[in-house]
Amino acid sequence: MRAAALGLFLFVALFCTASTWAEEGTQTLTLLPERQQAPGFVLKDVNGETHRLSDYRSRVVIVNFWATWCPPCREELPSMQRAWEQIRDEGIAMLGVNVGEDADTIFPFTAYYPMEFPLLMDLDSKVVEDWPVVGLPTTFVLDPEGRLVYRAIGGRRWDDPRLLEKVRGLKARQ
Amino acid sequence: MRAGLVVSAGLLWAPLWTQAGISGGVQDDTGLRFWRLEDRGVSFELVQRLPDQTRAFFQARGFSAEQANEIALGCVFQSIFRNTGAAESGAVTYDLADWVVLVNGTRLPVTLKEAWDRQWQESGVVEPARIAFRWSFLPTRQRYEPGDYNWGMTSYGLPPGATFDLDMAWTRDSDRETARIPGIECAPDLRSLSGDAP
Repeated sequence: MRAAALGLFLFVALFCTASTWAEEGTQTLTLLPERQQAPGFVLKDVNGETHRLSDYRSRVVIVNFWATWCPPCREELPSMQRAWEQIRDEGIAMLGVNVGEDADTIFPFTAYYPMEFPLLMDLDSKVVEDWPVVGLPTTFVLDPEGRLVYRAIGGRRWDDPRLLEKVRGLKARQ
Repeated sequence: MRAGLVVSAGLLWAPLWTQAGISGGVQDDTGLRFWRLEDRGVSFELVQRLPDQTRAFFQARGFSAEQANEIALGCVFQSIFRNTGAAESGAVTYDLADWVVLVNGTRLPVTLKEAWDRQWQESGVVEPARIAFRWSFLPTRQRYEPGDYNWGMTSYGLPPGATFDLDMAWTRDSDRETARIPGIECAPDLRSLSGDAP
């Protein structure tokens, strides 16, 4: 009985360790080979306010493309909110660009996934199709000149200090 | 070749068998079957989607009951492709048009979302529904740097309950790799089994 319990403990411990390693393995940001200018956009947020990407020039900007029905999007959104709470007073912007859903869909969703950064609506998906995105979620980090510097395809834990260090590093070069 | 493993009730992903980087089993929380390849720095996972799940998803996004039913009966899986290679291992690319569905020796293509979308365009499906469709399917072609991944549906054009092998291909840098996942089963249509089929 004791041996069985010990075996189960070791099995669970090994599984947990493997899970942690797996998560660590996904905490990457790809440095894009060329700093191309991000395609501009003008989008309304869920509160009806208009956002132009060009308004954020001179700031580091995190742009996340997502949808409410997308499982890895839902998984990473809480960590984006936690990251936002850390960087919002540092002059870094974060924009969530929802693909294809309206405020009536997004607003109730935020009751379960509270997000205080702007949630923009790409209702006809024209913006996401202009950007180099083929799957959700995809996130870009833009430098203060509005150029695409980092990309992450799939979810990340955005409040990871290693990721935030890279984001802040773009700001420090201003 | 297949090795039975102890299933712990506490695990969401309980492997029932493994073979050369390929495993399969039943999700503890849903009872849905899954197949997974973990080999040469990639992971590809297929989880059954019940036709009722797929009907509900697409009807909620603007498809008619008939259109949602057509998608649902096309052997749809939730799919996850991931580059699990080390940071210096390079990018992985795939093209679903290169993959082959094998049924009793017959080679069939994967049903690509572009083929579905042409059908939706011709039949006048509303744009919000088409947008949801396009983005909820796994990208047809994708390039993943280490740590990148996508979730999305894939469709294999077979009836509920059908069994097939899947021949996959991908490249890392310029090296082409292939693998076969055997014995994949399309989820059964519980509605037809219960006599509720339209």
